[in-house]
Amino acid sequence: MTAPPRTGGLLPPMPRTWWLRSAAYRRFAARELTSVFVLAFTVVMLLFLLALSRGPRAYGRFLGWLGSAGAMALFAAILAAGLYHTLTWFRLSAQVQVVRVRGRVVPRGAVAATLTAAWLAVSAGVAYVHVWW
Amino acid sequence: MVVTVTARGPARAEPGLWALFAAGGTVAAFLMPVHAAILGIAYAAGWLPADALAYDRILDLARAPLVKAYLAVLLVPPLFHWAHRFRFILRHQAGIHRARRAVAVACYGTALIGTGVAIALIVRI
Amino acid sequence: MAGGTIELRVTRYRPDRSPTPWVDTFRVPYDDDTVVLDALNHVKDEVDGTLTFRWSCRMGVCGSCGMMIGGEPRLSCGAFLRDLAPGPVTVEPLRHFPVLRDLVVDTDDFLEALREVRPWLIPRRDAADGDGEGRQTPAQVDAYRQFSMCINCMLCYAACPVYGQDRTFLGPAAIALAHRYDMDSRDGGRDVRRRILGRDEGVWECTFVGECSAVCPKGVDPAAAIQRSKVDLALRAWRVVWPAGAGR
Repeated sequence: MTAPPRTGGLLPPMPRTWWLRSAAYRRFAARELTSVFVLAFTVVMLLFLLALSRGPRAYGRFLGWLGSAGAMALFAAILAAGLYHTLTWFRLSAQVQVVRVRGRVVPRGAVAATLTAAWLAVSAGVAYVHVWW
Repeated sequence: MVVTVTARGPARAEPGLWALFAAGGTVAAFLMPVHAAILGIAYAAGWLPADALAYDRILDLARAPLVKAYLAVLLVPPLFHWAHRFRFILRHQAGIHRARRAVAVACYGTALIGTGVAIALIVRI
Repeated sequence: MAGGTIELRVTRYRPDRSPTPWVDTFRVPYDDDTVVLDALNHVKDEVDGTLTFRWSCRMGVCGSCGMMIGGEPRLSCGAFLRDLAPGPVTVEPLRHFPVLRDLVVDTDDFLEALREVRPWLIPRRDAADGDGEGRQTPAQVDAYRQFSMCINCMLCYAACPVYGQDRTFLGPAAIALAHRYDMDSRDGGRDVRRRILGRDEGVWECTFVGECSAVCPKGVDPAAAIQRSKVDLALRAWRVVWPAGAGR
């Protein structure tokens, strides 16, 4: 909402494509767009649960769809967006949250690295339960 | 402009909505890639053991109370993460500055509907 | 040793002469020590005395010579031409502010936002009256020190696409300075500032683009200040549900 300046100075409206203007802005726009894939992921997981709740035949159809090229392309996009979200989220978290160990501030890189290590451990745990439990 | 600032008043819903956004972002960061990799890539590529996604096995898993709680965490907060970011994508990237309340209702409303569907499915399984 | 001449493309705006801005091209001499501000002063002294711009200290302290140099918000006193060679170097007024004349912008909105966040010490109620000293440990100083380095140069506002679209947004520097006092152990004004930062056009409009922190010439991190204020406000709101879950 570009309000007219009180003093009558010259203020052209910001172009709608401002987020294409620099690499940093483009990375920001990509980061925000990952949220659309978060929604897509949630919807697909809900369909997975729906198929499961409807019995073996519906579930079998869902597994059949998982093997299709379209599903693989969708999941590849979700995975790529998810990884970008994960890494940017940890970097931003480290910028926001000051972590102190014995009174000393832990460097941001170390905080982000710790989060990344925790994420790998959690992912391994989820994969174990999901696939081999 | 300063007059407008005062007129808009306090944002009562924003702290809670932002907290949901942050919680959902953290959940998605930790859990989304591994699920996408298992269901979307590893299964289709045939890297999983033959019975990994067998109906009975997954049904037993999904009926465990701890797994139900896990599914609620996996599915609900990320919906509000999406709603929050998408609301601001519409405002700042798409440049839709009008009808802020309607846009917010649409975004968080979609997340609420998703929440209802998720809870219903998790309870029913 | 760099040296020679370089081309400056300076955006001009003179509302008394033309309703639209135009670009003037100047070729200026430079060497290793020449900054864009020196080049503009050379133009003003030797070529065109009507060229209008703000400057004062020439050493990155006063915060008055910010402009868009090569499309980036920078202090012109710290932008060496040797790094911008071979040119041409575009020089434009600071983005997102109304231009009054040439490279001079209207800063009233920022100054109003600054006034609003009360960027001064509001003594704590429990402070002993008249004991003179406000002693702090090094850790207490560290909690706010980097935010106190802000020189109000407004480069962060020129980098902020949110402020560029909604000029009611308090903006990076004002919130960073509010946070500087919120984090000060001698200050008791956090509740007052919470009412200002907690409005829609306070911290909530920010989407953490992060460019404010990237362009700051003094190493201030306004983006972190804004997100930390969001965390504080979210915890305060949460306290309604769970009283133990809030900070000071």
